[in-house]
Amino acid sequence: MVAAKDIPPPLRIPLLILGFASLIIGVGAGLLRLGWTVPLPAAELAAAHGPLMVCGFFGTVIGLERAVALARRWAYLGPLASGAGGLLLIAGAPMVAGQAFLAVGSVVLLAGSVFVFLRQRALFTLTLAAGAASWLTGNLLWLGGMSVFDVVPWWAGFLVLTIAGERLELSRFLPPSPMAKRVFIAVLAGLTFGMVFQAQVFGAALLALSLWLLRQDIARRTVKDSGLTRFIAVCLLSGYVWLALAGGVILAAGLAPGSLSYDAALHALMLGFVFSMVFGHAPVIFPAVLRVAVPYHPVFYAPLALLHLSLIVRLAGDAAALHEWRSAGGALNALALLAFILNTIAAVVRGRLNKTS
Amino acid sequence: MISEEAVREALRSVIDPEAGMNIVDLGLVYRIDAAPGHVVVDMTMTTPACPVGPMLVDQAQAAIRAALPDAGEVTVELVWEPAWHAGLMSAHAKKHFGW
Repeated sequence: MVAAKDIPPPLRIPLLILGFASLIIGVGAGLLRLGWTVPLPAAELAAAHGPLMVCGFFGTVIGLERAVALARRWAYLGPLASGAGGLLLIAGAPMVAGQAFLAVGSVVLLAGSVFVFLRQRALFTLTLAAGAASWLTGNLLWLGGMSVFDVVPWWAGFLVLTIAGERLELSRFLPPSPMAKRVFIAVLAGLTFGMVFQAQVFGAALLALSLWLLRQDIARRTVKDSGLTRFIAVCLLSGYVWLALAGGVILAAGLAPGSLSYDAALHALMLGFVFSMVFGHAPVIFPAVLRVAVPYHPVFYAPLALLHLSLIVRLAGDAAALHEWRSAGGALNALALLAFILNTIAAVVRGRLNKTS
Repeated sequence: MISEEAVREALRSVIDPEAGMNIVDLGLVYRIDAAPGHVVVDMTMTTPACPVGPMLVDQAQAAIRAALPDAGEVTVELVWEPAWHAGLMSAHAKKHFGW
Protein backbone atom coordinates (compact mmCIF):
# COMPACT_ATOMS: atom_id res chain seq x y z
CA MET A 1 0.00 0.00 0.00
CA VAL A 2 1.34 3.43 -0.95
CA ALA A 3 -0.36 6.51 0.51
CA ALA A 4 -2.07 8.75 -2.05
CA LYS A 5 0.37 11.62 -1.46
CA ASP A 6 3.43 9.35 -1.65
CA ILE A 7 5.36 8.25 -4.73
CA PRO A 8 5.49 4.56 -5.70
CA PRO A 9 8.65 2.61 -4.76
CA PRO A 10 9.94 2.22 -8.35
CA LEU A 11 10.19 6.02 -8.64
CA ARG A 12 12.40 6.08 -5.54
CA ILE A 13 15.05 3.93 -7.26
CA PRO A 14 16.53 6.78 -9.36
CA LEU A 15 16.96 8.83 -6.17
CA LEU A 16 18.83 6.00 -4.52
CA ILE A 17 20.99 5.58 -7.63
CA LEU A 18 21.85 9.32 -7.47
CA GLY A 19 22.98 8.86 -3.87
CA PHE A 20 25.05 5.81 -4.70
CA ALA A 21 26.68 7.64 -7.64
CA SER A 22 28.00 10.14 -5.08
CA LEU A 23 29.12 7.28 -2.85
CA ILE A 24 31.04 5.49 -5.59
CA ILE A 25 32.71 8.59 -7.02
CA GLY A 26 33.23 9.93 -3.49
CA VAL A 27 35.07 6.75 -2.48
CA GLY A 28 37.11 6.95 -5.70
CA ALA A 29 38.01 10.54 -4.80
CA GLY A 30 39.08 9.37 -1.35
CA LEU A 31 41.34 6.70 -2.86
CA LEU A 32 42.86 9.31 -5.17
CA ARG A 33 43.75 11.39 -2.11
CA LEU A 34 45.50 8.38 -0.63
CA GLY A 35 47.66 8.05 -3.72
CA TRP A 36 45.83 5.32 -5.59
CA THR A 37 45.28 5.57 -9.32
CA VAL A 38 41.55 5.77 -9.85
CA PRO A 39 39.78 6.37 -13.16
CA LEU A 40 37.69 9.41 -12.23
CA PRO A 41 36.10 11.94 -14.62
CA ALA A 42 38.52 14.61 -13.30
CA ALA A 43 41.44 14.66 -10.87
CA GLU A 44 39.91 17.78 -9.24
CA LEU A 45 37.24 15.49 -7.79
CA ALA A 46 39.71 14.54 -5.07
CA ALA A 47 38.71 17.81 -3.39
CA ALA A 48 35.05 16.76 -3.49
CA HIS A 49 35.53 13.58 -1.41
CA GLY A 50 33.91 14.98 1.75
CA PRO A 51 31.02 16.84 0.04
CA LEU A 52 30.17 13.79 -2.08
CA MET A 53 30.21 11.42 0.89
CA VAL A 54 28.33 13.58 3.41
CA CYS A 55 26.02 15.63 1.19
CA GLY A 56 25.71 13.67 -2.05
CA PHE A 57 25.43 10.25 -0.44
CA PHE A 58 24.28 10.55 3.18
CA GLY A 59 22.21 13.66 2.55
CA THR A 60 20.38 11.89 -0.26
CA VAL A 61 19.74 8.58 1.48
CA ILE A 62 18.71 10.25 4.75
CA GLY A 63 16.46 12.63 2.80
CA LEU A 64 14.94 9.65 0.98
CA GLU A 65 14.41 7.78 4.24
CA ARG A 66 12.67 10.82 5.77
CA ALA A 67 10.53 11.29 2.65
CA VAL A 68 9.35 7.66 2.81
CA ALA A 69 8.47 8.16 6.49
CA LEU A 70 6.53 11.36 5.72
CA ALA A 71 4.87 9.83 2.63
CA ARG A 72 4.62 13.28 1.06
CA ARG A 73 5.69 14.02 -2.51
CA TRP A 74 7.31 17.34 -1.67
CA ALA A 75 9.66 15.62 0.76
CA TYR A 76 11.26 13.75 -2.18
CA LEU A 77 12.47 17.08 -3.56
CA GLY A 78 15.15 16.91 -0.83
CA PRO A 79 16.93 13.76 -2.03
CA LEU A 80 16.31 14.83 -5.62
CA ALA A 81 18.10 18.16 -5.02
CA SER A 82 20.98 16.72 -3.01
CA GLY A 83 21.39 13.81 -5.43
CA ALA A 84 21.47 16.29 -8.32
CA GLY A 85 23.92 18.44 -6.35
CA GLY A 86 26.25 15.46 -6.04
CA LEU A 87 25.88 14.77 -9.74
CA LEU A 88 26.76 18.38 -10.60
CA LEU A 89 29.94 18.12 -8.51
CA ILE A 90 30.84 14.89 -10.32
CA ALA A 91 30.10 16.40 -13.73
CA GLY A 92 32.44 19.31 -13.05
CA ALA A 93 29.69 21.95 -13.23
CA PRO A 94 30.44 25.30 -11.56
CA MET A 95 30.92 24.56 -7.87
CA VAL A 96 28.25 27.02 -6.83
CA ALA A 97 25.60 25.07 -8.78
CA GLY A 98 26.32 21.84 -6.88
CA GLN A 99 26.52 23.72 -3.60
CA ALA A 100 23.17 25.43 -4.26
CA PHE A 101 21.40 22.14 -5.03
CA LEU A 102 22.87 20.56 -1.90
CA ALA A 103 21.67 23.53 0.14
CA VAL A 104 18.16 23.10 -1.28
CA GLY A 105 18.30 19.40 -0.35
CA SER A 106 19.08 20.33 3.24
CA VAL A 107 16.31 22.96 3.33
CA VAL A 108 13.78 20.28 2.36
CA LEU A 109 15.18 17.83 4.95
CA LEU A 110 14.88 20.53 7.61
CA ALA A 111 11.31 21.29 6.50
CA GLY A 112 10.46 17.58 6.75
CA SER A 113 12.11 17.34 10.16
CA VAL A 114 10.20 20.39 11.45
CA PHE A 115 7.02 18.79 10.06
CA VAL A 116 7.78 15.66 12.13
CA PHE A 117 8.57 17.78 15.20
CA LEU A 118 5.28 19.65 14.94
CA ARG A 119 3.46 16.34 14.68
CA GLN A 120 5.33 14.85 17.64
CA ARG A 121 6.96 17.37 19.97
CA ALA A 122 9.67 15.39 21.70
CA LEU A 123 13.37 15.61 22.43
CA PHE A 124 14.19 13.04 19.77
CA THR A 125 12.27 14.82 16.99
CA LEU A 126 13.98 18.04 18.06
CA THR A 127 17.34 16.25 17.79
CA LEU A 128 16.50 15.06 14.27
CA ALA A 129 15.59 18.64 13.31
CA ALA A 130 18.84 19.88 14.87
CA GLY A 131 20.70 17.38 12.68
CA ALA A 132 19.03 18.72 9.54
CA ALA A 133 19.68 22.31 10.68
CA SER A 134 23.33 21.43 11.18
CA TRP A 135 23.57 20.11 7.62
CA LEU A 136 21.89 23.22 6.25
CA THR A 137 24.21 25.48 8.25
CA GLY A 138 27.28 23.65 6.94
CA ASN A 139 25.97 23.82 3.38
CA LEU A 140 25.23 27.55 3.60
CA LEU A 141 28.64 28.29 5.10
CA TRP A 142 30.27 26.28 2.30
CA LEU A 143 28.15 28.08 -0.29
CA GLY A 144 29.21 31.34 1.32
CA GLY A 145 32.87 30.59 0.73
CA MET A 146 34.02 28.74 3.82
CA SER A 147 36.36 25.80 3.18
CA VAL A 148 35.22 22.18 3.44
CA PHE A 149 37.60 21.75 6.39
CA ASP A 150 35.85 24.52 8.28
CA VAL A 151 32.34 23.13 7.75
CA VAL A 152 33.31 19.56 8.65
CA PRO A 153 32.03 19.88 12.26
CA TRP A 154 28.59 20.96 10.94
CA TRP A 155 28.45 18.08 8.49
CA ALA A 156 29.63 15.62 11.13
CA GLY A 157 27.01 17.11 13.46
CA PHE A 158 24.35 16.42 10.84
CA LEU A 159 25.08 12.69 10.85
CA VAL A 160 25.76 12.40 14.58
CA LEU A 161 22.59 14.28 15.61
CA THR A 162 20.45 12.36 13.12
CA ILE A 163 21.66 9.02 14.46
CA ALA A 164 21.46 10.21 18.08
CA GLY A 165 17.85 11.31 17.56
CA GLU A 166 16.90 7.95 16.06
CA ARG A 167 18.59 6.03 18.87
CA LEU A 168 17.00 8.24 21.55
CA GLU A 169 13.62 7.47 19.99
CA LEU A 170 14.18 3.73 20.21
CA SER A 171 15.52 3.98 23.76
CA ARG A 172 11.90 4.64 24.77
CA PHE A 173 11.43 0.87 24.77
CA LEU A 174 13.63 0.82 27.88
CA PRO A 175 12.44 1.88 31.34
CA PRO A 176 12.33 5.71 31.43
CA SER A 177 15.32 7.40 33.04
CA PRO A 178 15.12 11.15 33.80
CA MET A 179 18.86 11.14 34.44
CA ALA A 180 19.60 9.63 31.00
CA LYS A 181 17.45 12.35 29.43
CA ARG A 182 19.32 15.10 31.27
CA VAL A 183 22.67 13.64 30.23
CA PHE A 184 21.46 13.46 26.61
CA ILE A 185 20.48 17.15 26.71
CA ALA A 186 23.93 18.01 28.12
CA VAL A 187 25.53 16.01 25.27
CA LEU A 188 23.43 17.91 22.72
CA ALA A 189 24.55 21.20 24.25
CA GLY A 190 28.18 20.04 24.11
CA LEU A 191 27.90 18.99 20.47
CA THR A 192 26.35 22.31 19.48
CA PHE A 193 28.89 24.38 21.42
CA GLY A 194 31.68 22.26 19.96
CA MET A 195 30.44 22.66 16.38
CA VAL A 196 30.34 26.43 16.72
CA PHE A 197 33.36 27.19 18.89
CA GLN A 198 35.75 24.44 19.81
CA ALA A 199 36.67 21.09 18.23
CA GLN A 200 37.89 19.61 21.53
CA VAL A 201 34.48 20.19 23.13
CA PHE A 202 32.92 18.53 20.09
CA GLY A 203 35.23 15.55 20.66
CA ALA A 204 34.34 15.37 24.35
CA ALA A 205 30.63 15.47 23.45
CA LEU A 206 31.10 12.65 20.92
CA LEU A 207 32.86 10.60 23.57
CA ALA A 208 30.06 11.29 26.05
CA LEU A 209 27.46 10.39 23.42
CA SER A 210 29.18 7.06 22.76
CA LEU A 211 29.04 6.23 26.47
CA TRP A 212 25.38 7.27 26.60
CA LEU A 213 24.58 5.06 23.61
CA LEU A 214 26.51 2.09 24.96
CA ARG A 215 24.45 2.37 28.14
CA GLN A 216 21.03 3.50 26.90
CA ASP A 217 20.63 1.89 23.48
CA ILE A 218 18.26 -1.07 23.13
CA ALA A 219 21.13 -2.80 21.30
CA ARG A 220 22.50 -3.80 24.69
CA ARG A 221 19.44 -6.01 25.10
CA THR A 222 18.69 -6.94 21.49
CA VAL A 223 22.24 -8.23 21.00
CA LYS A 224 21.06 -11.21 23.05
CA ASP A 225 18.38 -11.96 20.41
CA SER A 226 19.17 -13.74 17.19
CA GLY A 227 19.27 -13.29 13.41
CA LEU A 228 18.76 -9.81 11.98
CA THR A 229 17.94 -8.22 15.33
CA ARG A 230 21.27 -9.35 16.78
CA PHE A 231 23.13 -8.32 13.62
CA ILE A 232 21.71 -4.78 13.87
CA ALA A 233 22.71 -4.65 17.54
CA VAL A 234 26.27 -5.80 16.77
CA CYS A 235 26.55 -3.12 14.07
CA LEU A 236 25.34 -0.47 16.52
CA LEU A 237 27.52 -1.46 19.45
CA SER A 238 30.64 -1.80 17.32
CA GLY A 239 29.85 1.59 15.76
CA TYR A 240 29.67 3.16 19.23
CA VAL A 241 33.21 1.98 19.96
CA TRP A 242 34.42 3.85 16.84
CA LEU A 243 32.40 6.88 17.94
CA ALA A 244 34.20 6.79 21.30
CA LEU A 245 37.55 6.56 19.54
CA ALA A 246 36.73 9.43 17.19
CA GLY A 247 35.62 11.55 20.15
CA GLY A 248 38.78 10.69 22.08
CA VAL A 249 41.06 11.61 19.17
CA ILE A 250 39.28 14.94 18.56
CA LEU A 251 39.35 15.69 22.29
CA ALA A 252 43.07 15.04 22.39
CA ALA A 253 44.19 16.50 19.07
CA GLY A 254 41.39 18.75 17.78
CA LEU A 255 40.56 18.79 14.08
CA ALA A 256 43.68 20.06 12.34
CA PRO A 257 43.05 19.72 8.58
CA GLY A 258 45.40 17.38 6.79
CA SER A 259 46.88 15.92 9.98
CA LEU A 260 47.01 12.19 10.63
CA SER A 261 44.77 12.59 13.68
CA TYR A 262 42.23 14.38 11.44
CA ASP A 263 42.20 11.41 9.06
CA ALA A 264 41.88 8.99 11.98
CA ALA A 265 39.11 10.89 13.75
CA LEU A 266 36.97 11.59 10.70
CA HIS A 267 37.20 8.06 9.35
CA ALA A 268 36.55 6.47 12.75
CA LEU A 269 33.48 8.69 12.88
CA MET A 270 32.19 8.47 9.31
CA LEU A 271 33.22 4.93 8.42
CA GLY A 272 33.38 3.23 11.81
CA PHE A 273 30.36 4.85 13.39
CA VAL A 274 28.11 6.05 10.57
CA PHE A 275 28.68 3.21 8.10
CA SER A 276 28.22 0.61 10.85
CA MET A 277 24.75 2.14 11.28
CA VAL A 278 24.21 1.91 7.51
CA PHE A 279 25.31 -1.74 7.37
CA GLY A 280 22.98 -2.61 10.25
CA HIS A 281 19.95 -0.79 8.95
CA ALA A 282 20.21 -1.53 5.24
CA PRO A 283 18.29 -4.84 5.65
CA VAL A 284 15.45 -2.82 7.22
CA ILE A 285 15.59 0.45 5.28
CA PHE A 286 16.01 -1.00 1.78
CA PRO A 287 12.81 -3.05 2.12
CA ALA A 288 11.03 0.00 3.57
CA VAL A 289 12.14 2.33 0.76
CA LEU A 290 12.10 0.00 -2.25
CA ARG A 291 9.70 -2.70 -1.01
CA VAL A 292 12.13 -5.45 -1.85
CA ALA A 293 13.01 -8.15 0.65
CA VAL A 294 16.59 -8.21 1.96
CA PRO A 295 16.48 -11.48 3.90
CA TYR A 296 19.07 -11.77 6.63
CA HIS A 297 21.95 -14.22 6.21
CA PRO A 298 24.94 -14.71 8.54
CA VAL A 299 27.21 -13.67 5.66
CA PHE A 300 26.07 -10.09 6.47
CA TYR A 301 28.77 -10.13 9.16
CA ALA A 302 31.53 -10.43 6.53
CA PRO A 303 31.39 -6.83 5.15
CA LEU A 304 31.02 -5.57 8.72
CA ALA A 305 34.13 -7.45 9.84
CA LEU A 306 36.02 -6.17 6.80
CA LEU A 307 34.94 -2.61 7.58
CA HIS A 308 36.29 -2.85 11.12
CA LEU A 309 39.51 -4.61 10.14
CA SER A 310 40.19 -2.15 7.32
CA LEU A 311 39.70 0.77 9.71
CA ILE A 312 42.11 -0.77 12.20
CA VAL A 313 44.71 -0.94 9.41
CA ARG A 314 44.04 2.66 8.39
CA LEU A 315 44.12 4.04 11.92
CA ALA A 316 47.24 2.03 12.73
CA GLY A 317 48.81 3.74 9.71
CA ASP A 318 47.71 7.13 11.05
CA ALA A 319 48.98 6.36 14.55
CA ALA A 320 52.38 5.16 13.36
CA ALA A 321 52.64 7.70 10.49
CA LEU A 322 52.97 4.83 8.01
CA HIS A 323 51.56 6.06 4.72
CA GLU A 324 51.48 2.56 3.20
CA TRP A 325 49.29 1.26 6.00
CA ARG A 326 46.97 4.22 5.82
CA SER A 327 46.74 3.85 2.08
CA ALA A 328 46.17 0.09 2.21
CA GLY A 329 43.57 0.63 4.94
CA GLY A 330 41.80 3.13 2.69
CA ALA A 331 41.70 0.63 -0.18
CA LEU A 332 40.35 -2.02 2.20
CA ASN A 333 37.75 0.51 3.43
CA ALA A 334 36.57 0.85 -0.17
CA LEU A 335 36.54 -2.93 -0.51
CA ALA A 336 34.35 -3.20 2.61
CA LEU A 337 31.83 -0.77 1.10
CA LEU A 338 31.88 -2.69 -2.17
CA ALA A 339 31.36 -5.96 -0.26
CA PHE A 340 28.40 -4.34 1.53
CA ILE A 341 26.79 -3.25 -1.75
CA LEU A 342 27.33 -6.65 -3.40
CA ASN A 343 26.08 -8.43 -0.29
CA THR A 344 22.90 -6.34 -0.29
CA ILE A 345 22.29 -7.02 -3.99
CA ALA A 346 22.92 -10.75 -3.44
CA ALA A 347 20.42 -10.75 -0.55
CA VAL A 348 17.77 -9.09 -2.73
CA VAL A 349 18.34 -11.72 -5.45
CA ARG A 350 18.19 -14.50 -2.83
CA GLY A 351 14.91 -13.04 -1.56
CA ARG A 352 13.44 -13.03 -5.06
CA LEU A 353 14.55 -16.61 -5.74
CA ASN A 354 13.05 -17.75 -2.43
CA LYS A 355 9.80 -15.99 -3.28
CA THR A 356 9.49 -17.62 -6.69
CA SER A 357 10.54 -21.11 -5.59
CA MET B 1 -16.95 -15.58 11.92
CA ILE B 2 -13.40 -14.35 12.52
CA SER B 3 -12.56 -13.31 16.06
CA GLU B 4 -10.59 -10.28 17.10
CA GLU B 5 -8.28 -12.60 18.99
CA ALA B 6 -7.53 -14.61 15.84
CA VAL B 7 -6.54 -11.41 14.03
CA ARG B 8 -4.37 -10.37 16.98
CA GLU B 9 -2.70 -13.77 16.93
CA ALA B 10 -1.98 -13.42 13.21
CA LEU B 11 -0.44 -10.00 13.83
CA ARG B 12 1.96 -11.50 16.36
CA SER B 13 3.89 -12.89 13.40
CA VAL B 14 4.78 -9.34 12.27
CA ILE B 15 8.09 -8.47 13.88
CA ASP B 16 9.73 -5.07 14.24
CA PRO B 17 13.23 -6.17 13.18
CA GLU B 18 15.05 -3.53 15.20
CA ALA B 19 13.25 -4.33 18.45
CA GLY B 20 13.07 -8.07 17.79
CA MET B 21 9.50 -8.04 19.06
CA ASN B 22 6.09 -8.41 17.43
CA ILE B 23 3.88 -5.38 16.79
CA VAL B 24 1.13 -6.58 19.15
CA ASP B 25 3.39 -6.83 22.20
CA LEU B 26 5.04 -3.53 21.28
CA GLY B 27 1.60 -1.91 21.60
CA LEU B 28 1.51 -0.78 17.97
CA VAL B 29 -1.91 -2.34 17.22
CA TYR B 30 -4.62 0.08 18.34
CA ARG B 31 -7.87 -1.35 17.01
CA ILE B 32 -9.10 -4.59 15.48
CA ASP B 33 -12.58 -4.69 13.97
CA ALA B 34 -13.35 -8.18 12.72
CA ALA B 35 -16.69 -7.74 10.97
CA PRO B 36 -17.92 -10.52 8.66
CA GLY B 37 -16.16 -10.15 5.30
CA HIS B 38 -14.05 -7.17 6.33
CA VAL B 39 -11.23 -6.96 8.87
CA VAL B 40 -10.06 -3.47 9.80
CA VAL B 41 -6.91 -2.84 11.82
CA ASP B 42 -5.56 0.50 13.03
CA MET B 43 -1.89 0.42 13.88
CA THR B 44 0.77 2.99 14.60
CA MET B 45 4.53 3.37 14.69
CA THR B 46 6.57 4.72 17.57
CA THR B 47 7.25 7.86 15.51
CA PRO B 48 6.21 9.40 12.17
CA ALA B 49 9.93 9.78 11.45
CA CYS B 50 10.22 6.01 11.00
CA PRO B 51 10.19 4.88 7.35
CA VAL B 52 9.32 1.28 8.22
CA GLY B 53 5.61 1.98 8.89
CA PRO B 54 4.17 1.36 5.41
CA MET B 55 6.20 -1.85 5.11
CA LEU B 56 4.86 -3.18 8.43
CA VAL B 57 1.34 -2.28 7.26
CA ASP B 58 1.89 -4.46 4.20
CA GLN B 59 3.26 -7.26 6.35
CA ALA B 60 0.30 -6.99 8.73
CA GLN B 61 -2.13 -7.30 5.81
CA ALA B 62 -0.25 -10.28 4.43
CA ALA B 63 -0.11 -11.96 7.85
CA ILE B 64 -3.88 -11.66 8.33
CA ARG B 65 -4.61 -12.95 4.82
CA ALA B 66 -2.22 -15.87 5.27
CA ALA B 67 -3.53 -16.91 8.69
CA LEU B 68 -7.19 -16.18 7.98
CA PRO B 69 -7.92 -16.83 4.31
CA ASP B 70 -11.67 -16.39 4.98
CA ALA B 71 -11.23 -12.91 6.42
CA GLY B 72 -12.49 -11.24 3.24
CA GLU B 73 -11.32 -7.69 2.73
CA VAL B 74 -8.41 -6.69 4.97
CA THR B 75 -7.72 -3.02 5.65
CA VAL B 76 -4.76 -1.95 7.77
CA GLU B 77 -4.46 1.78 8.43
CA LEU B 78 -1.48 3.64 9.86
CA VAL B 79 -2.75 6.12 12.47
CA TRP B 80 -0.93 8.65 14.65
CA GLU B 81 -3.55 9.43 17.28
CA PRO B 82 -3.01 8.77 20.09
CA ALA B 83 0.78 8.89 19.95
CA TRP B 84 2.50 5.66 20.96
CA HIS B 85 4.10 5.54 24.40
CA ALA B 86 5.96 2.82 26.26
CA GLY B 87 2.98 2.22 28.57
CA LEU B 88 1.23 0.52 25.64
CA MET B 89 3.74 -2.35 25.58
CA SER B 90 2.65 -5.72 26.97
CA ALA B 91 4.13 -7.13 30.17
CA HIS B 92 6.09 -9.56 27.98
CA ALA B 93 7.65 -6.75 25.94
CA LYS B 94 8.46 -4.71 29.02
CA LYS B 95 10.19 -7.67 30.61
CA HIS B 96 12.18 -8.17 27.40
CA PHE B 97 13.42 -4.58 27.63
CA GLY B 98 14.33 -4.78 31.30
CA TRP B 99 11.35 -3.09 33.01
